[in-house]
Amino acid sequence: MKKFFYPIMATLLIVGSAFTFIKSQDWKIGDDYSVKFTSDDPSGVFQGLKGTITFDDKDLAGSRFDVSVDVATINTGNGMKNTHAKSEKWLDVDKFPTIHFVSSSIAATANGFEAKGTLEFHGVKKDFTMPFTFQNNVFKSSFDINRLDFNVNTAEPAHGASTLKVDISVPVTKA
Amino acid sequence: MSRKNFYHGAIAGILSALACFIYNRIYLFATEVDFARVLNPAAIIGANLLACMIASIFFGFFSKWFKSKGEIIFSLAFAILSFGSIVIPISISLPLDVKNPELFPGLAVPMHFFPALAWFTTRPLFADHKNAS
Repeated sequence: MKKFFYPIMATLLIVGSAFTFIKSQDWKIGDDYSVKFTSDDPSGVFQGLKGTITFDDKDLAGSRFDVSVDVATINTGNGMKNTHAKSEKWLDVDKFPTIHFVSSSIAATANGFEAKGTLEFHGVKKDFTMPFTFQNNVFKSSFDINRLDFNVNTAEPAHGASTLKVDISVPVTKA
Repeated sequence: MSRKNFYHGAIAGILSALACFIYNRIYLFATEVDFARVLNPAAIIGANLLACMIASIFFGFFSKWFKSKGEIIFSLAFAILSFGSIVIPISISLPLDVKNPELFPGLAVPMHFFPALAWFTTRPLFADHKNAS
């Protein structure tokens, strides 16, 4: 029996380590994504979504989001508002060109999933939980965000809405 | 509304719409940004005819109310209203899938002066010349 111990252990080690190579699925962001924000004033969209998405609903531990949005691509539908939004007073695009989210853990919930991580917006990093669903190769997420939490024009808290609803829809294809 | 004022409004509206079409093409050529979804030919014709016809109606009223001063007051009011109306294309929010909304005022603001320009340009054709020496 003793002479089989090391071969068996070696076999278990080899078989066990093989599973470490099983990786969650990487996804490529499709062109038809939308990142919308709505409030009484303003509402608009961001283009320029980039990043890496690794997600497998059977391997949430190995799943990860690292995505960013180019702030300069903001479109409120009005040129004057776009210019104001990009200015130092509001989003300060020159200083803070991206909104960045990196997940640290993903867990299943009753309605789908939630990604916990760090959201960096306007130079402020905060722990953030992003609820989302994944169906038919489309990630969807809706959440509220308070611009004052991220020091966006805190001098004028009543100028426009402070809480904005964000709706994200990201169709993906297998990378 | 007199027949003369009606034709004046209609012809000014057509000329104004024509000017808008030409400017639209030039702007499209210069910027390669197409705002046809929000500023289509039907809207251009409709808006210009409407503006010039309303102008003619009010010209009739002003001439009746203010007699000889009517044309001066009307001209001033039409110019001020045209100028004031440029706030609309500057402040309007376009559909979010329309790209480069920054360039929209550059297209629409000049167009807001075309009805007045066309109306004043064609005015001599419909002016009452009986007092001319």
